[in-house]
Amino acid sequence: MSTLTASTVDTSAALKANRRRREARTTAVLVGLAILVFALLVVTMMIGSFRIGALDVVASMLHLSDSPGVDFVVRDLRLPTAASALGVGLALGASGTIFQQILRNPLASPDFVGITSGAGLAAVVGIVVLQAGGLVVSGLALGGALLAATLMYVLAWRDGVSGYRFILIGIGIAAFFDGLVGFVLSRAQLFEARQAMHWLTGSVGQASDTELRLLFGALVVLLPIAMLLQRPLRALELGDDSARTLGTRAELSRAALLGVGLVLVAVAVSASGPIVFVALVAGPIANRLLGPATGGIVASALVGAALLLAADLVAVHLMPTPLPTGVVTGAVGAPYLLWLLATTNRQGAGG
Amino acid sequence: MSRLRTQELSLGYDDRDVVRNLDVVIPDGRVTAIVGANACGKSTLLRGLARLLAPRAGAVFLDDTALADLRTLDVAKVLGLLPQSPVAPDGITVADLVSRGRYPHQGWFRRWTDRDHDAVTRAMAATGTADLIDRPIRSLSGGQRQRVWVAMALAQDTDLLLLDEPTTFLDINHQVELLRLLRELNEESGKTIVVVLHDLNLACRFCDHLIAMSAGQIVAEGAPTEVVTAALVEKVFGLSCLIVPDPVAGTPMIVPA
Repeated sequence: MSTLTASTVDTSAALKANRRRREARTTAVLVGLAILVFALLVVTMMIGSFRIGALDVVASMLHLSDSPGVDFVVRDLRLPTAASALGVGLALGASGTIFQQILRNPLASPDFVGITSGAGLAAVVGIVVLQAGGLVVSGLALGGALLAATLMYVLAWRDGVSGYRFILIGIGIAAFFDGLVGFVLSRAQLFEARQAMHWLTGSVGQASDTELRLLFGALVVLLPIAMLLQRPLRALELGDDSARTLGTRAELSRAALLGVGLVLVAVAVSASGPIVFVALVAGPIANRLLGPATGGIVASALVGAALLLAADLVAVHLMPTPLPTGVVTGAVGAPYLLWLLATTNRQGAGG
Repeated sequence: MSRLRTQELSLGYDDRDVVRNLDVVIPDGRVTAIVGANACGKSTLLRGLARLLAPRAGAVFLDDTALADLRTLDVAKVLGLLPQSPVAPDGITVADLVSRGRYPHQGWFRRWTDRDHDAVTRAMAATGTADLIDRPIRSLSGGQRQRVWVAMALAQDTDLLLLDEPTTFLDINHQVELLRLLRELNEESGKTIVVVLHDLNLACRFCDHLIAMSAGQIVAEGAPTEVVTAALVEKVFGLSCLIVPDPVAGTPMIVPA
């Protein structure tokens, strides 16, 4: 165990190689994901009842095309849906991995801890009771998500917020809100009930211009902040004691991260309705690509966008009849959830 | 001269005081052991020294400034702690974990520097974990894992290092190995080490300075050979015993009567 110079040289070289390998992998994964997301974005806008070539799509997006017909189809008809899938995917992916890492549990995605349910209840009350539509419903959903999260934070607070209490309280709140949603729906007229159910399934096609602007505004501000907060997050992952010893202000960092994750999921849900499972799976997939315990927020956001763009392609173009996006993500995500529950219990690691 | 000391320090949880009115001085450049029966407040004291627990009264002084008046990041550059049960993120590898010890030395935008690299290299060489670089923490034995955690604390490169019961889950061989390692680190770099220990014999054998606690109070402090008596062990642990010199090192050894 003595410190030999020769062994130190070997260690140094091995550590350098290890770090280079990890950095190269991160770069490769991020570039690959970015290309994939861009490709999916273009493909989404190519196909439909009127087919457009890839180059024409790109030219039109960059305002370099001189064909008003193509411009109309690409920019006015298809871009809003594609942009919505992109933005909602980015937001859900980033938010999901933040929640999972902070609460140290792969099940702790915003879908399960009551935030989405809060948004759902507020939106359904808006549609059914207030007979509201469009922006009012989105605003209500945003408020519902924030309210549910505040409620959870307050209830879970005891000299700080710990992972398990937060998750259990979140699941309780989700069940409570879902019950109320059922109650409101059972009192609704058929037309409003259908509308509410459609909203609850989640679809990227339903976002309005204002909602999209809000969504992208939030992304432009919050994604860079999330990237900065990745640093304290890496310390928080080691537990509060270690994080504080390493010089993090644990409670403050956690509150900031939860705040960022919460607003991201809230604007996403208000734009598209609750699209389930994207937030749950994006983080673990990103981790699988980057290597264990890397927890890249950007990578997870890109995975979320790729998943949602792909799900939208399948939902709208590959099904005999166009489906809401949430149906496809649910169908893909449910088996993953079962697998997660089965394996975490076996390892005794979480769950 | 002492960089870390407390003045009339009281610490507690909820509405209960665990330690009250403690004046502790941690000698510089020495290995200090805090010993005592279960629930005597030794881990609480360590958490107070590391600023994980805010004082209810009194203060902890680091270089003559109250800990509460220092920035968290500045404390972290001088004082490191290995908690009792540290958490490793799922699947993390040894190199990644040890590197995270560099946190307080990196800025929001600063990249990994040669200094960071050298500190991690030294920490891994000193703890004998160099050949574990690519291994996931989960796959390591208890002894290896504890050495990796010590390596992370070393990578933090602090003058003072506190360890909360680092030997608890180790067998006797690995307990001795770990304490030898701490001893070596202290002798090679002059690092001040404070360690909470259960085993009084090991504490006497490997530490320069002993702080014996009972019911939140300090019962005795000083060099093991001077302070450890049958009366002290009776008072601290409620065990009647004989004290004989350790046949190898000559330090006090407790033999239950």
